Amino acid sequence: MSSTATTGELAVCRAVSVVHGRGDARVLALHDVDLRLAAGERVGLWGRSGSGKTTLLHVLGGLVTPTEGDVTWRGKRLSSLDAAARGRARAHGISYVFQGANLLPTFTAYENVAFAAYASDDGGSDDEPDELLELVGLAAKRDALPAELSGGEAQRVAIARALAQRPSLLLCDEPTGHLDGDTGERVLDLIDALQRRFAFALVLATHDPEVAARLPRVIGLQDGRIVSEDRFA
Amino acid sequence: MSASARLALAGLLRAPARTIVRVVVLSCAVALLGSMLLFVSHSLRTMAGSAIRSVPLDWQGPVASYEQARRVATGVAAQQGIQQASPAATAPFAGAVHAGANESTSAGAGAILAVPADYLTHIDTFRFLQGTVRPGEVALDQQMAATLKTQIGESVSLTPRPGAPARTFKVSGIVLVTAPDVLFQPLNPLLGPAPAQPPANIAVMGINTFAGTLAPALPAITPASAGSSAVPGAQTAVQWQVQAQVDPRSLGHTPSQALTEAGRTVNRVQRSLPGQVQFVDNLSDALNTASADALYAQTLYIMLAVPGALIALALGYLAALGGVERDRRDLALLRARGATRRGLLALAAIESFIVGSLAGMVGAAIAFAAVSLIIGGGLGLTAARVTVTVVVCVALAIAGAAVARIYASASVLRESVSEGRRSVRRERRLLWQRLYLDVVALAVSGLIYWLTASTGFSAIVNPDSNPTLSLSIYMFFAPALLWLGATLLLVRLRGRALGWTLARAGAEQPKTLPGFLLASAARRGTAINRGLLVVGLLLAFGVSLGIFTATYDQQAGVDAQLTLGADVTASAPPGTIAAHGLTARISAVPGVSASTPVDHSYAYVGPDLQDTYGIDPATITKATTLRDSYFLGGGVSDVIGRLRTTPDGILVSKETISDYSLRTGDLLKLRVLDHAHGRFHVVPFHVVGVVQEFPSAPRDSFMVTNLSYLQAADHAGGPNVVFIKSSDPQATAVRVAAATSANGTIVKNIRQQAQQTVSSLTTVDLRGISKILEVFTIALAAAAMGLFVALAISERRHEFATMAALGASIRSISAFVWSEAAIVLAAALVLAAGLGLLLSLMLIAMLQHVFDPPPDQLAIPWEYLAALIGAALATATIATAIATRRLRALPLGAILREQ
Repeated sequence: MSSTATTGELAVCRAVSVVHGRGDARVLALHDVDLRLAAGERVGLWGRSGSGKTTLLHVLGGLVTPTEGDVTWRGKRLSSLDAAARGRARAHGISYVFQGANLLPTFTAYENVAFAAYASDDGGSDDEPDELLELVGLAAKRDALPAELSGGEAQRVAIARALAQRPSLLLCDEPTGHLDGDTGERVLDLIDALQRRFAFALVLATHDPEVAARLPRVIGLQDGRIVSEDRFA
Repeated sequence: MSASARLALAGLLRAPARTIVRVVVLSCAVALLGSMLLFVSHSLRTMAGSAIRSVPLDWQGPVASYEQARRVATGVAAQQGIQQASPAATAPFAGAVHAGANESTSAGAGAILAVPADYLTHIDTFRFLQGTVRPGEVALDQQMAATLKTQIGESVSLTPRPGAPARTFKVSGIVLVTAPDVLFQPLNPLLGPAPAQPPANIAVMGINTFAGTLAPALPAITPASAGSSAVPGAQTAVQWQVQAQVDPRSLGHTPSQALTEAGRTVNRVQRSLPGQVQFVDNLSDALNTASADALYAQTLYIMLAVPGALIALALGYLAALGGVERDRRDLALLRARGATRRGLLALAAIESFIVGSLAGMVGAAIAFAAVSLIIGGGLGLTAARVTVTVVVCVALAIAGAAVARIYASASVLRESVSEGRRSVRRERRLLWQRLYLDVVALAVSGLIYWLTASTGFSAIVNPDSNPTLSLSIYMFFAPALLWLGATLLLVRLRGRALGWTLARAGAEQPKTLPGFLLASAARRGTAINRGLLVVGLLLAFGVSLGIFTATYDQQAGVDAQLTLGADVTASAPPGTIAAHGLTARISAVPGVSASTPVDHSYAYVGPDLQDTYGIDPATITKATTLRDSYFLGGGVSDVIGRLRTTPDGILVSKETISDYSLRTGDLLKLRVLDHAHGRFHVVPFHVVGVVQEFPSAPRDSFMVTNLSYLQAADHAGGPNVVFIKSSDPQATAVRVAAATSANGTIVKNIRQQAQQTVSSLTTVDLRGISKILEVFTIALAAAAMGLFVALAISERRHEFATMAALGASIRSISAFVWSEAAIVLAAALVLAAGLGLLLSLMLIAMLQHVFDPPPDQLAIPWEYLAALIGAALATATIATAIATRRLRALPLGAILREQ
C-alpha cells in the first residue's frame, strides 16, 4: 500500500458551532470552534463525556453539518456540499474508527474490509483486504462475522477497514473505549505504527489523558469549546 | 392521569410515524374481521328473512268442521307470536258453467278456496286482480275466468260433485292464486308439507257463503280419513282448516334461530289447544332447508376467511415488531431505574389499549364502509348491531396490539436488566420444534387429502332433519393443517434454505455490489423469512381464495348452463324452427356468437321412457359448453367426433349401459314415436359412448343422438330448441325474443336461470365475501410489502449509517433495501403459487360433491392475481423509493452515536 499523505493544510474548521435539538431540548454541542489540521499531523481531542469530541469528529468528516461556521476539506467547503458529495469526499480520503467498531453485522471481516474498498472505489487489488487483515494480525479471522470477534479483534478489523479507504485523514472516536487496558494499548500501538507507515493525518478523540498524551498535539474541549491546546515535541 | 398512562402516551407521541403505522395495519386486520362479521351476520339475516318471506302460508291445521275451524282459529290467534289465524276451507268442484248471452261455456273440475273477509291481511296466497269477493258471490282465478269467458258482474254455476245440483254465484272479482301448490296440498300433520299439483280451475269465496251453499253438498275430511285424502290430486271432500301466519319479528335473525323458534311456537300453540289441532308446518320446512344452506355458507365463509384474518393479525404483529427492540431497551432501562413488574405491564397494557382502541374504531369504520359498498340496499344496521361490531373490533384490536407489546414486556421481565438491554438474545428451540409438529401437520394434511381424493368422501350438508354437516368433518383439517404446517415449517427454517441458496449464488470473495448484496441477504435469512412468512402466506391466501372462488363461480355458471342448456335458449312449438328458418334468423341476431338446433323428444329403451336429444355434432360445441367430465371413456372432441362419424350413433347413460348390458358399438333398438302416424316404431341405433351430463338434460338417464337421424325416425318436424352462445346473455335474449316472438318462441337466458336454480351450490353466494376478502388481501399484501421495507430500514439504520460514513453511495445503500424486497417478493410468489394452488385443490376436492358436475379444471382469475401481485410490487417499489429518500436524510451523526 502506498502512502496517501500530502503536505499542506488538510482540513479547517472556522467558527464552527453545532446545535442539537430545539426549544427546551436545545443542546450546544460545539461553540465557535476553530481548528486547522495539516496533512500527516497527529492530534488528540481530549475532554470528558459530552464535551463535543465526537461532534467535532463528525463535523470534520462531514457526517454533521455545522449550524454556524464552515468546514473545508482540501480547500473545498464541506458544509456547502450535499449528502452525496460529502459521502464521496469521505470515500476519497476520510476514514473513521468508531468506539464500538461499528462493523457491518452481515459481513465477514474480509467483506467489511472489501466493502470499504468498494465504497472508496479506489480500484485496489483483489488481495488488498487479505493484506490489510494480515497487517492488523487478523488473517486467520477473515471469514468470521463481527458477532464472532472479540472487542479488540473487531476494532482491529475496523482499523483495517479504515485503511482500505486509503485515508488522508483517520478520525478515531474513543477507539479503546470498549476495550480492557492491555487490548486498548495494543490497538493504540497499531494505530501509531500504521500512521507512521502510511503518514495519514490522525485525529483521536479520548477522555483518557494518558491516551491523549501519546499524541504531539492535544486539544482540550469542554462544553463544546476549545479550552486548551498543547503541543509536545 | 396516572404516571403509566402519561408515559405510555408520551411514548406513542414520541414516535408518531411508528404509532400511525401500528394503528393503520391493525385497523386493516380488524376491518377484515369486522367485515366478515358484518357480512356473515347480514347473510344469515338475509337467508332467514328470505326463507320466512318465501313461505306464503306458515301453518295449515286440518279440523273436522267449520265450527271447529272458527273456534281453533280464535284460540290460535290469541297466542303470543301469532300474526294471524283464520278459518278456511278447500273443496273440490266437479265442473263450472258460464251461461253467456249467446253461448254457454263450461270448465272442468277445480277447487274452491273459502276464506274470511280479512284473510289477506298477513296471508299471501292469492291477490285480487280486479274486484273483490262479497258475501254470496265468488271470485275466479284468472285462468278459470278466461276459460269460462266470464267477467265481473256475470254469473257462473258451480257443481259441487257429480250428480249434485249446481249453485249459481255472481262473479265479483278476478284473482291470481300465487300459492296453489301449498293451498291445495293434502294436509297430514304426520307427513308434513307435500306441495301438490295445483288444480286447473280455482274459485274463491267467503267462508260463510261456502258453508251455507256448497259445503252441505260435500262430505268433510275428518282426522280419520286424513290418510286417504293425503294423496295429491285425490281431494274429494271439504278440508276445513285453520291457516295461521307466525309473526316474523318473533323468529330471530338466523335461519337456525328462526327454525328453533318456529318449532317452539308451533309446539306451544298445539299444546295450548290439546287435541284440537295439529299443524302442517310449511314454515319450519322452509327454515330447515335455509338452516342447512346457512350452515354450509358459514362453513365456507370460515374456511375461506379465517386464514386471511389470522395472517392479517400477523401483519399487525409485524407492524408492532418495528419497535419491539426499542421497546425492549426502553423497558429494560425503566426497570433498571426501579420500575416494578406491575408498572411495566400496566405501561404496555395502557399503550396497547390506546393503539387498539384507535385501530378498532378505524377498523370498524372501514368494515362498515366496505360491506356497505358491496351489499346494495343497506346493511339494516341497528344501534345494537353497530355497538356489537364496534366493541368486537376494538376488543380484537386491543388484543392484537397487546400480544405484540406484552410479548416485548414479558421477555424483558423474565430476563435480567443487562440481557434486556442487549439487542441480541439467545434463542432456544420451542416445544413444537422439538416435536416436529410442522412435519406432522403437513403429513396428516397430505394423508387426509389423499383419503379425500381417493375415497370420494366430502363434506356434505344433510338437508334433512336438523342441519348438520354429515360425513367426514375431519376433511376440513386438510387445508387447516396445510396452513399450520406450512407456517410452522417456514418459522422453523427461518430463511436458512433461502440463505443457503443466496450464499451459493454469491461470490466467495465479493468485490462488486451484487456480491455484497447476496452475501448480506444470505445472512439475513431470519429477517427475510419474517417478510416471506407474512407476504408469502398472504399471497398464498389470495391465490387460493381467487382460484377457489373463480372455480366456484365457474361451476355455478356451469350448473345454470347445464340446467338451461346454453347462455340463451329459444324453444318453439314443434315444426316452427324448421318451418321459419329460426336457427338461421337467430344466428343473424347481434350478440349471438353461435347457435345450434336441438330436438328434445322421448324414446323407450325397453320399458323405460327416456329424454332423447337430437343434436348437430358439427355445431353443438360452438353454441354451448361441453366438458370432458360429461362423458365417460373419452373427452368431448373424441365422443362428439364418434357421434358425427356414426349417423345412427347414440350416447347413453351409465345406468342404461349397466341395466341393459351394453358396450360401445352394440346395437340398441329404441321405440320412437313416429309423429307422422302417431305410433311408436322400432329404430336401430349404435352405442358410441357414455354420457353423464348434457346441457338441459335431466339428472337421471337420457340419450343423445344425431339430429338428422332422429328427425328421419320421428318425423316431428325438426328441432324444438335453439342453443345460443353469447357474451351478453341478457341483452341477446331480449333481441332474440324480439326477432322470433312472432313465431311463439320462449326465450330464456342464463342469468335468469342462475337466480332460479335452487341447489346447494347456487344458494350460497360467495361473491360478497370473496370480494371483501380479495380487496383486503390486495390491501394487506401491499401493506405487508411496505411494512417489510419500513422494518428493514428501521432495523438497519445503524448499519446503513455506517455504510454512509464509509462513503458508500445512497444508490449502493438503497440497493440493500430493494434487493431484499425483490427477494421476499420473488420467494413469496413461488410460495404463493405452490401453496395457493395446493390449498385451492384441497378446498375443491373437499367440495367435490357440491360441484355438479365436478370441475374439469381450476378457473384462474388472472385479473385478480395480476392486481394482487401488482399491488405488492407497486408498494414495494414505492416503499423502496421512499426508503431511498429517507436514507438520504438519515441523521448520521445521531445514529452513529447510538451504541
